[in-house]
Formats: sequence, structure tokens, C-alpha cells
Amino acid sequence: MSIFSYNGAALVGMAGKDCVAVAVDKRLGVNQFQTISANFQRAFQVSERCFVALGGLASDVQTVHKEIAYRMKMYSLREEREMEPKVVTALVASMLYARRFGPWFVDPVVAGLDKDNKPVLAGYDSIGAKSEAHDFVTGGTASDQLFGLCEQFWKPDMDADQLFETISQCLLAAVDRDCVSGWGADVFILTADGTVTKKTLKVRQD
Amino acid sequence: MPVDYVETLVAQKGAGFVFDNYQRNQFLASSDPQAFKMPDLKKTGTTICGVVCDGGVVLGADTRATAGDIVADKNCEKLHKMADNICCAGAGTAADLEHTTKKFAADLELMRLTLHRTPRVGTAVTMLSQHLFRYMGYVGCALVMGGVDPTGPSLYMIYPHGSTDRLPFASMGSGSLAAMSMLETGYKDDMTIEEGKKLVSEAILAGITNDLGSGGQVDLCVVTKDAYTMHRNIMAPYPRTRIPKPVMFPTGTTTVLEEVKMLKGRLEVTDADVEMRDA
Amino acid sequence: MMGEWSSGEGLQQHMQSHGSVPRPVSNPPMEHRFMPYQNNGGTVFAVAGPTYAVAMADTRLSSGMRILSRNTTKCTQLTSKCVVLTGGMQAEMVELHKRMKILITQYEHAHRREPSVNAVAQLLSTRLYFKRFFPYYTFNVVVGLDEEGKGAVYGYDAIGSFERIPYVSQGTGAELVTSVLDNQIGKTNQTKQLEPLDKTDLIDLAKDVIAAAGERDIYTGDYAEVYVIDETGVNKSKVDLRKE
Repeated sequence: MSIFSYNGAALVGMAGKDCVAVAVDKRLGVNQFQTISANFQRAFQVSERCFVALGGLASDVQTVHKEIAYRMKMYSLREEREMEPKVVTALVASMLYARRFGPWFVDPVVAGLDKDNKPVLAGYDSIGAKSEAHDFVTGGTASDQLFGLCEQFWKPDMDADQLFETISQCLLAAVDRDCVSGWGADVFILTADGTVTKKTLKVRQD
Repeated sequence: MPVDYVETLVAQKGAGFVFDNYQRNQFLASSDPQAFKMPDLKKTGTTICGVVCDGGVVLGADTRATAGDIVADKNCEKLHKMADNICCAGAGTAADLEHTTKKFAADLELMRLTLHRTPRVGTAVTMLSQHLFRYMGYVGCALVMGGVDPTGPSLYMIYPHGSTDRLPFASMGSGSLAAMSMLETGYKDDMTIEEGKKLVSEAILAGITNDLGSGGQVDLCVVTKDAYTMHRNIMAPYPRTRIPKPVMFPTGTTTVLEEVKMLKGRLEVTDADVEMRDA
Repeated sequence: MMGEWSSGEGLQQHMQSHGSVPRPVSNPPMEHRFMPYQNNGGTVFAVAGPTYAVAMADTRLSSGMRILSRNTTKCTQLTSKCVVLTGGMQAEMVELHKRMKILITQYEHAHRREPSVNAVAQLLSTRLYFKRFFPYYTFNVVVGLDEEGKGAVYGYDAIGSFERIPYVSQGTGAELVTSVLDNQIGKTNQTKQLEPLDKTDLIDLAKDVIAAAGERDIYTGDYAEVYVIDETGVNKSKVDLRKE
């Protein structure tokens, strides 16, 4: 057991053609045997074209989200523009690395669309080692399962519908084999025209 | 003598590590040592190496980043540009490498602007080794740094505790033994750049093949008096053996309970299912 | 008292006379422990079909960050229609497979026929539980054709708890494989049922899945042995995986 599996989480970001999606579970638990909530929010729209999803210790998930939101507001006040997704990925990395010797126990995934509608995806460890990906990023306690699923099911240039089905099937199959995540799921799809579609999935409640 | 760069350095003092969470984390650790285990930090269980050639240095690295026994990144960059004439290959804790090299690349650039001189490799090595010594090995960087300056081409190793070596050829990381076997076999004094590139590629390839912590592609960086050339993925020795047969999930495969479209600043519920209440 | 200190005693006397307690000089006793287990890595899995079964195992043998062998089998054919596959520690696997073969030969001599897959599965469970308090560090899969000619797959834990299931995976890549099989064979969470996979599709899927596991699990790679067990017997082939 590690502090990372205390509350449980599953998160995945996936790139499509001119679209990007994030899928997260909604369980908030205490170890394996108690579930506090089946409606815990761990994916946040931090700007018009960027999402941050956070796994790990729930209190840190909320604190880190607040910190990111604060810094992005300060940025837009100073700069009079929204932060680009690419900049968000750098912000998260340096925020986490500042606490290299007393980290937040979070496992972040950043997904967004840049100006040219190219997907921006980044995954991190808890101290801010960023890994950028062109295909998919995973996080949380179900990340092993998600890696296997995404390697099998991800394909290049998916449209928004196909991307939704693929990312949803990946998340659902993953949380069914992880006992500390699941109990509900949200999928966010960002498309080139600037719309965000949030879909709540039907998930096993066990 | 201009000393205004000192002010620049002083102005940066506010930045640095934050230890706010340290006590809380120690408390968590003491309350339940069973439950509190530090997670797998992303490591670059790596093969990196470098060779001094006639008129330049060649550095090489693999591209795998691991978290425990899982490959976290199949194509990460381990060759960091420190300056127009210095390249640094890193092995160890991924976050430390990424941020430490970035910080010192910035410091070297500030120094170049204030002193109007290209930084020397020895300077960069000293700066890094002093930083790493200060953190007593807790900043987990094992580096191979090379470059060309007025003294000619040079190559150094820097260990996580801050000790340094200056060598004609060097390797580091979990695949360093595999790489060193190739370097020891193939190294000659005053090789041409092309010979150096070939030797370094072979050394990295040995690491990729024989060390489980290393994998992916070969990256090379060549630094000469005139140019800094990065050869990203110059070799892809083991391409994927099977592309999985694409699975097309028909639209509507996944059950959606509620769909909300968030148009710029406006909410619109397009489909709300009542299945939850039925269940 | 203030003269030269010639020995430790003198130092101790000196400290005692000043009221401080002497420090114990000896180190605490060192504990030596017998650690017989290691994990040599690798992934095995099997899928049961209506009249056949497919089993898959990679052939990499590793220790720590090193590859010990690129071509070590994790499978043993036990009868004309039964194979056992094992992940975990290779030495224990060799011992276990050897013992299973002996016991099956003895069974054949006693009963003048080979045991059914069901009997082999029960035998393995008994062998594993026999070592309940010093277990074989092995994670097993038994696969074959049952007495009705249907594909049979049995999954185990290290101490003999077992179950007949449609598909199972074991070893270092098990997490990566299992949920893909859930989706493609178990068809979980899908409202639109796709057509069931036929035999060649299933074999292709199995190869894709182990290749995908090899992409992300550092202990899975080199080659995969493919066993297809049907009415013709046990058919073995090999596919390439990543060698890095």
C-alpha cells in the first residue's frame, strides 16, 4: 500500500484528429473497504482548451487544482490572455518540482488542444518529471491496466466519436480490474470548434 | 569589472525548493509506515555515453523512461542542451535531470550575456557539481557532459554526490556496463566525428539491447567548434513487431447516462438519462 | 586521573567519574535471512474457445535489470491435450513442471490412460497446496481440451487456489493483459455486441495482446510461444516480440 492508493484513481488522456479527450473515474475511497463518494471530481477544465486531471491523495488533488487555478488566473491578469496548454504542462512540472523534497501526492495528466488544434498531452510523476506523448497518457492506481488497454486500442487520427468510444472502453475495462477506482466515470472531449462535451458513463458500482 | 550579474543572481533567490509539505509527509510516514511508501518516481534507468573526437565530442543516449517495471515514456529526451557549445546527457531521477539541466542552462545563458563570453565546459561542470554536492546525492543526477570551448573539446562525468571525472570516453546509467564494453573495445585517440558517432551509437545500442532499463531509440549529439547538432532518433533498432489489428467500437457501444455540451461559456444538456433512478 | 589514557577502560573510567554514561561499543547483531525467492519475469495467458484453446507465453528470462535468456520456455506439455504455463520464478517452474510430469507418468502407469485436463488441474492444485507454508513462487495456468472436447483454462494462485475460467493471465504483464481480454473476450461494458471472435481472430488477438504488453512491461519480450490446442493435438508456433 502506498499513499497513492489510499483514495484510488484512474485517469487517461487520449489524442484524436483535431480533438483530445480525458477520462477519469469518480470514486473517493478510504483504502479498499470504504467508499466515501462516487461523485468525486478529479478532472478540471483550467482554460477553454485545456484540462488537468489529478490522481493520488484526494486532499492534494484539490489543493493542487486550486494552486493551478490561482496561478493561471494570475497569468491571465498579467498577460491579458489565456495560458496555452503547452504552458500549462510546463507550469505543472515546475510547480511539482518546487516541492521536490516534500511533494504533493498527485499524479497529474494534462490534455489540451493548441492553436493549430494539435493535441497536447503530458503525464507526470509526483515530483514533476514530465513526459509528453503524441498518443495517450495514463495515471492513477489503474495506470498499468490503462497502459495495456491503450497500447491495444489507440489508433492514430480518430474522430471525436471514435475517440470517445475508445477512451471510454479503455477506462471502463481498467477500473473493473482495479479495486480502488471506478464507481462512475466522466469523459471530456475537446474538439477543434471549441466545444467541450462531458459524458457521464454507466459504470459498475462495486 | 562588471558585477551586475551578481544582482541577477541575488534577484533569483526567492525561487528554489519549497519544504512546506515536508513535516506533513513525515507525519504521514510515522503514523503508518506500512501505508506510507514513496511511490515509483520516474527514473531514466538509462544508457548514456560520450566520446571525445578530433575537434569535437559526441554524446549519446537511449530514450526510455521507466516507473518501476513499466515503461512510462518510450521516446523521451535525455540529451539536454546546456549552451550552444555544451551538451549534457543525464541518467537517474527524471524530474531532477529535467529541472536541474534546465536551471543550469538558464544560468549559463545569463552568464554568457553578462560576461560576453561563451561558457567553458569546466565552468558548467563546476556549477553542477557544486549544486549536487550541496544536496548530498538527494538530487539524483548522473551526468555525462561534453562540449567544445577555447581549450578544445572535453568530456566529463558528474556523479550524484558531486564528484567529477574528466575522461576521453565515458558512460553512465544502468546500461553503462554494456555501453562501456563497446567503448573500451572500439575507442581510439583522435577519432573522426563519423567514427565517434558510430562508436557511440554502438555503445547505446548495446545498452538498449542488454539492459532492461534502457530501450527505445538512439539519440546523438555532436558538438564541434562550429556547430551543435542534435540527431534525434538517429537509430530505431527495435521497431514494434506487431501493430494491433485496429478495433473499431461502433458509436453507441458505451452507455452514457448524461451528456452535457459546454459551448463557450454556455451549458446545454442534450441528453439526460434516467437510468440511475431506475436502478 | 588526568594522565595519559592507555586503553578503553581508562576512557570509560574517565567518563564515569564525570557522571556521563558510557556508550555501548558493539554494533547490534546482524540478521542474516534466507531469501530463496526471486521473480524472473514474463507474461503467460490463455483463452478457452468452444473446441480449442489458445495459450501464450513470452520467452524472456530476466533478473533485476538484466536479461538472462531470450529463449527460455515457460510452458510444458503434460499430456496430448494439456499444457501448463508458469510465471514467477524459473527454478521453481522447472521443478514444478518436472514433478507434474513424473506424477502424470505414474498416473498413466496406474490407470493405463492419460489424465484428463480436469484431473491435471486438480493435481496441480494439490501439489501447490502441499507446499502451503513454503510455496512454489509460481503463478500457473493450465490449458487444454476437456473430456467433451471443449477448451479448458484453469487459473491458480501460488498456493493452489484454482478456478476454471474463460481466460486468465499471469506474470509481470498480467495487469496489462487481463483488462484487454475482459474487453475483447468478456465483452464487458458494451451495449452493442460485436460478433464473437473466430479461431484465427482469437489467435491474432492473443499475439497482439502479448505484443502490447511487451511494449510497456520491461520483463516481457523477445519471443512468444503460441500454443493452439484443438482436436488435432497441441500445435506450437512462435512470434517475434521486442528484443530491447
